[in-house]
Amino acid sequence: MATLKINGETKDFDAPDDMPLLWVLRDVLGMTGTKYGCGIAQCGACTVHLDGQPVRSCLLPVGEVRDRAITTIEGVGATAAGAKVQKAWLDLEVIQCGYCQSGQIMSAAALLAATPNPDDADIDAAMAGNICRCGTYVRIRAAIKRAASEA
Amino acid sequence: MSRKSRRILLGLAGVAVIVVVAGILILRGPGPMTFAAGAKVALADYRAADPTGVPPALAKASLVERGEYLARAADCMVCHTAPGGKEYAGGFAFKLPFGTLYSTNITPDRETGIGDYTDQQFLDALHRGVRRDGARLYPAMPFTSYTYITDADALAIKAYLFSLPPVRATPPRNTLAFPFDQRWAMTFWSVLFNSDERFRPDPAQSPEWNRGAYLAEALAHCGECHTPRNPAFALDNYDKFAGAVTAGWRAYNITSDKATGVGAWSDDDLVSYLTRGHAPGHGTASGPMGEAVDHSLGRLVPEDIRALVVYLRSVPPVASPDLPATLAPPAPASYRQGGNLADIRGRRVFEGACASCHSWTGQSPLTPFATLTGARAGNDSSAINVAQIVISGTRRHTPADALSMPAFGNIYSDVEIAAVANYVTARFGSKGSAITADDVAALRKQGSQ
Repeated sequence: MATLKINGETKDFDAPDDMPLLWVLRDVLGMTGTKYGCGIAQCGACTVHLDGQPVRSCLLPVGEVRDRAITTIEGVGATAAGAKVQKAWLDLEVIQCGYCQSGQIMSAAALLAATPNPDDADIDAAMAGNICRCGTYVRIRAAIKRAASEA
Repeated sequence: MSRKSRRILLGLAGVAVIVVVAGILILRGPGPMTFAAGAKVALADYRAADPTGVPPALAKASLVERGEYLARAADCMVCHTAPGGKEYAGGFAFKLPFGTLYSTNITPDRETGIGDYTDQQFLDALHRGVRRDGARLYPAMPFTSYTYITDADALAIKAYLFSLPPVRATPPRNTLAFPFDQRWAMTFWSVLFNSDERFRPDPAQSPEWNRGAYLAEALAHCGECHTPRNPAFALDNYDKFAGAVTAGWRAYNITSDKATGVGAWSDDDLVSYLTRGHAPGHGTASGPMGEAVDHSLGRLVPEDIRALVVYLRSVPPVASPDLPATLAPPAPASYRQGGNLADIRGRRVFEGACASCHSWTGQSPLTPFATLTGARAGNDSSAINVAQIVISGTRRHTPADALSMPAFGNIYSDVEIAAVANYVTARFGSKGSAITADDVAALRKQGSQ
């Protein structure tokens, strides 16, 4: 039995060290807000925060997490940047099919926490690894700027 | 012809013979352990602990178990197994400039494997590069290294191989071009370049050094990748362990040179790299070295690894002039600084595919295995290994929870891979590369399989 710090809570789980964090979240702990997309860290759907940094949970062996703090889409609304991003997402109705959006929101929240007023180049650099099949990129960019303008 | 002119002719012929013999001797060069100046003795005359065989803990193990350890130390399996194929059943492709060679089936199948080999025939193959039917083996089979394995150890390896389930499998036909398809020509090559002698310890060195020498030279055959080759494709021990490009990957300088070899690595770093394929601040083994760690070195007992380190430390320093002497510190945290922006596609690929695991600083938020800072591959302006890792990824098995990197060879074009390799070496190395799409295309062809 091992433990993880997820969204401020300590969770016990039983899984081998080489199981990807994403599997532990979804299949062992039942936290299905984080999505499985490509499984090779190339689409961004599985993005979570590790000590505030956006990481791809599909390739991250859970044994490497140790005592670092995990934030998932279920808990990001409790952070200042996460709350602003979620509100802007709703205000602008960013979502089309929605599958990639928990990952998009996690990357956007990490961006705003580090860079409160990002320009287009900052957004490109931070969001390039999050792919959206529906092509909501224009609304994602607008929502990030709107969230940034919410003081 | 006058007596005088005959004498001149004879003199000229004599000079020619001397020049040819000297040329051959120079080409042949020193042996792999010649650098240690002490007089070598026959194993039977060596008084200290036997440097050959298995570690003391396995001394009472069965012949097959001892053979298994030695076969692992000699890393037979990696080359004698095709990707996705049955272990030891052969078919692994060696892509050479003059065609493709396939490894053979060394399971005990009587028709397609080595099931009918007698002990002597097995020794002839391992020590002399001669097949059961008398044909000559190519030196892709490292018999010039295995020739130093003792008869007892070689026959333990045979016993292990013969304990495996026989697999009926015939490798594809070699596609070597003339004159390289003429196996008989290897007779002359072997006379010149195969010492055909068993390991001779050096009493002037410590028992640990001698064990390390036996492991490195006879079994693990480090030099087959890390020592450059002469024009006849034999190991050039004038520059022993100074690094070479083998199968499209660059095996780095592992001499005791402080700046470009491993002379500045701590003992702990060397032990860690050999056993786990990773040492903090030195990057992670990928490609052929990753395989060597996973299947061979990582499964040796700790005292054997320490012996290897003692031996490595004694190899004379040779500098690699093209490698930067200082390694780059972590890159800036912002994408706005650092990296080669001459080709914006490099940064575009990096921010989309690489940054999420390796981070803009090169210090991975996921695992030290994915940290680029300090890795030799990034601090190499040939970018050969960076490009190969992008093409084929890194799939490691030691330790079990080691992170893997996906292969991007089928996702990105040669142009994009060249651009991202140039970006990575500029951002995370002390001297950026300038490789082209053509270079990447060539690397794809050379990579095994």
